[in-house]
Amino acid sequence: MSSTVSTDPSPTAGTVDPARPPRAGKRDVWLVFWIVPAFYTAFGVIFFALARVMPPPRPDVTVDQMVHFFHAHALTIKIGFGVLVLIVGGAGISNGIVVYHMKRMTVGSVMAYIYLGSMSVGALPGCLLVAFSFLTAVYRPGRDPQILAMLYDLGLLSYVGSLGCFSTAYFAFAVAILYDKNEIFPKWLAYVNVWQIVTEILTVAVFVSKAGPFAWNGANSFWLGTVIFGVWLVCVIVFLKKANELQPADEPPLD
Amino acid sequence: MQILAEAQDLPKTANIKTQLISLWTAPVFGVVLLVAFLAFPGFFPPMSPEMTAEQVAKFYSDHTAMIRFSMVTFNLCGIMLLPIFMVIVVQMKRMATQSHVFAYCYLTAAVTGATLFALADIFYLVAAFRPARNPELIELLNDMGWMIFIAPVGAAVAMNLLLGLAIYFDDGPNPVFQRWVGHYAVGTALAMAPAVGAAVFTTGPLAWNGVISFWLRNGAFTLFVIVMFFVLRNVLHRQAIDEGVAR
Repeated sequence: MSSTVSTDPSPTAGTVDPARPPRAGKRDVWLVFWIVPAFYTAFGVIFFALARVMPPPRPDVTVDQMVHFFHAHALTIKIGFGVLVLIVGGAGISNGIVVYHMKRMTVGSVMAYIYLGSMSVGALPGCLLVAFSFLTAVYRPGRDPQILAMLYDLGLLSYVGSLGCFSTAYFAFAVAILYDKNEIFPKWLAYVNVWQIVTEILTVAVFVSKAGPFAWNGANSFWLGTVIFGVWLVCVIVFLKKANELQPADEPPLD
Repeated sequence: MQILAEAQDLPKTANIKTQLISLWTAPVFGVVLLVAFLAFPGFFPPMSPEMTAEQVAKFYSDHTAMIRFSMVTFNLCGIMLLPIFMVIVVQMKRMATQSHVFAYCYLTAAVTGATLFALADIFYLVAAFRPARNPELIELLNDMGWMIFIAPVGAAVAMNLLLGLAIYFDDGPNPVFQRWVGHYAVGTALAMAPAVGAAVFTTGPLAWNGVISFWLRNGAFTLFVIVMFFVLRNVLHRQAIDEGVAR
């Protein structure tokens, strides 16, 4: 790429016309876009198949059963969450491209920055704390069963019960979409974000409910939230792709 | 860098000056953090994961004061390394031949990385708060402190790969960084990546006290901050000259 630019015979090369901002191109936006489905595929494999956090193990079990869970899945927890800790920057990239397209909306920057702030903080309670709780649990299989049981609760409650960071991000995303005149995302996607906030609010019950639909593995707290998250994620990926396609190649870099 | 008298009060001059302040926090607080690092009684050599719970508890009761001094300093000053990474974000946003999506991804990853960097010292401090606690609990806190200190390299890896890509894509007539900085950033990412093994291995070079997880990871990160200090100083100097605020 650099050779084609440096041999460009165009007389304007090297001179900067302040009235016409430089072209940004969008090859970098495409490169970042493809990291999003790749990251979430890895995320799904890790949480469903390896770490066994999805669907979550039951909260209403004995300490011995919690200990057994860690012993039975120690190897896959190490592989899965080890990889997660290595690739968690992919979450930053997946959120960063949403921030980028939010910045292209006609609504100012504040909602994009709210999304950036709350999502980047949310990675800690939302997926890293469960990773480190479980990794710590399986690091020494001989730990006191009561400690293992506490790490079980800590991991699962932080993962299913991290609510506020994501609610704030969805709020900012929804407001931005509704006010945007560039139609970067369809208006109805704002209401999918509102559903997401509703599921986060309903999930409050995981902190008191040890069994049934409102427990961390329940039909409401886990399944409803996960299905709507899945819908949201697919929509976001599809419309990020569309936003990339519709973006003019000669759009200047963001302010 | 000599700021021109006539440019003294311009916003673009303030933009250079605030970046210079952010840049200089790195060596100032880098020295403070180096003192904290040298003061921690469990880094030379790094504590072994194979210590028994009783040995770990004894470590915290024998060295309470120095552990507190070191980790309080990390707590207070650790995130003062964030400013130099924010200077990198600002410079990535000066790149003319790209959309700046890399810069926003870099910023998002940097904040995630900072949350973990800010967390690790708390575990050491809680362990040192009541060293007479049940040794198994001290061991638990020590394990979490070490793991969260060494293993979470994911943000740094993503940031350095993004910085490398941004530099490769910055292929116009006036690139912000020289191309070798991109290669260097990618190299740092590769050097830090294996340290994730600290969350899994209890012995060998990938354990948290191992040559790769402890020395290579921390050495690569430290060297990166030092090298980027000089790189960014030159970049800022060039920006100041290009914008007519310095000569």
